[in-house]
Amino acid sequence: MVYTKRTPWTLIMGVIMVAYAYLVQSGALAGLIKYLGTARHTGEMLTLGYTFGGIAIAIGLWQLIAKNAEGHVDYYLSTIGGVTFIMLVAFIVKWGLDPQMAQWGRAAQPTLGFNFASVMNLNYVVMGIIAGIVIVNVFKVPDWAANGVRLSRLGLKTGVILLGALYSFAELQQLGKLSVVLIGIFVLGSVGVVLWWGARRNLPNSMTGVLSAGVGVCGVSAAVAAAPVVQAKSTEIAYTIGTILLFGVICMFAFPIVGKALGMGYITFGAWAGTGILNSAQVAGAALAFQPGGIETLKVAEIFNITRVLFLPIIVIWLAIWYVKREVGAQKVNVGQVLVSKFPLFVLGFILMFLLSSTGIFAPARHYQGSFFDNSDKVMIKKDRAGKEVNNYLKDPDLEVLKKDAAKVTRDDQKTALQRLIDNKKLMSIEDDDTLRGVVNAKIMSKEGNAVLVKAHRAVRHTAAKIAMFRDLIAWFFTFGLVGLGMQITMASIKQAGGQPLVIGSIVGVIKAVGSLIVVMLLVHETI
Amino acid sequence: MSEDKFDRGTALTIFGSDRHEDLVALILALIIALLVYLYI
Repeated sequence: MVYTKRTPWTLIMGVIMVAYAYLVQSGALAGLIKYLGTARHTGEMLTLGYTFGGIAIAIGLWQLIAKNAEGHVDYYLSTIGGVTFIMLVAFIVKWGLDPQMAQWGRAAQPTLGFNFASVMNLNYVVMGIIAGIVIVNVFKVPDWAANGVRLSRLGLKTGVILLGALYSFAELQQLGKLSVVLIGIFVLGSVGVVLWWGARRNLPNSMTGVLSAGVGVCGVSAAVAAAPVVQAKSTEIAYTIGTILLFGVICMFAFPIVGKALGMGYITFGAWAGTGILNSAQVAGAALAFQPGGIETLKVAEIFNITRVLFLPIIVIWLAIWYVKREVGAQKVNVGQVLVSKFPLFVLGFILMFLLSSTGIFAPARHYQGSFFDNSDKVMIKKDRAGKEVNNYLKDPDLEVLKKDAAKVTRDDQKTALQRLIDNKKLMSIEDDDTLRGVVNAKIMSKEGNAVLVKAHRAVRHTAAKIAMFRDLIAWFFTFGLVGLGMQITMASIKQAGGQPLVIGSIVGVIKAVGSLIVVMLLVHETI
Repeated sequence: MSEDKFDRGTALTIFGSDRHEDLVALILALIIALLVYLYI
């Protein structure tokens, strides 16, 4: 089978990308960039425009001129059209629709009484997935792009591995314990409930088994991984994937709205999304939709998500034993072999990247959320680009605001940290900084008091350039993966979620979402 | 996208198995990490 389609579209898209980057570089689009407020993205507009555009022009020309014969070169190069297509959609959404929607949201606020773009989470992540869904269901993914769309999951997995670089030992140790307990209860509980209920409703064992893995662990990947263990038919896998995607799409839109309505912070929302949402991609989607301008929520959600994924081998073994016991004549399963063959390698990659990052090769070893603590005079008093001295110590008016708000702080550790900040005019340790971030997130002090605490925090926290680069790359890998994911959500796959699997999967999903919300609100605090 | 449209991989991935896809993601991530380490 020859995969390359002789089409001018790859070449045309490449020319559009390069032309756009050139227009940005020449300043011809300065007015538009100023209107949309996207000046901070000009660096990536040039880099990504020229890189992807250049590759698309070269490969597009090659595919038009050369004789495409069956083989590896044809198979892998045929993905370029689809990759370029997804990136072009991502460019339009991230640099055009997203800032335009934000403007419309602000403009309509006086009339509507609320910012619809913010309330409906109409940011580039959500609009990227919607664009994908619209393209596949209204226009259909073009044949020449179909092979590239199948790379979107690779993008998501690569993003997850790179995300490991943003974690440090201190952070993961603390969240790790909590996530293991929370995830353990909800994953094992969900799998158990689906297995019990499926047996009561006389669903086939293979259907129940694959649905339990999908609902309990990590959505589509888990369903696919568990399918051979319970010898599931392709229609049963499709039913499970349809159920997971339909429920997950609803969760992805509903979770950020509920989270904002309840005034959740980055950590509580991240913990809830990572525990309650079924599919890894949708966890990322919800976390980015909740906090599109930063990555803190995504990081917390991913720790919970990764912990959930780590349960996959345990669930696979459980299902194997359960299935063998229930199915008369089912093949015997070698537990050790199942463990080795089903363990998700990208999770090992995430851990490897985390270990590399913890050695301090990308940032000082004890970095926190990608940034590191330094309160030495070298950084507290420094010169700006114009050579003017900038003093980052808190000033007397700042200290007055803190003293006035100090009475509102009741916890002993928070009172001590605040007093130390007032005495020294700067944060004295990572622990003090973390403690006072809790005060900010819990909105204990006045708006002015919080602003001073944020100022003190920013003075001692410095993001390493390498980590900043990882953040940008991760955001793009996830955007690529999620636009591609949208292109795989067909109405047919959503319709397949009918009948018993939809009822059981949705009810267990809702129980898991609500239960995890209650537990997270009770146990998780905005301090790490 | 139906599965029989592709004679290699599945409807969700161009790779033959999850393990293969994971391995490619791992290699890609390590190359990116090396480039970031060397040039940023």
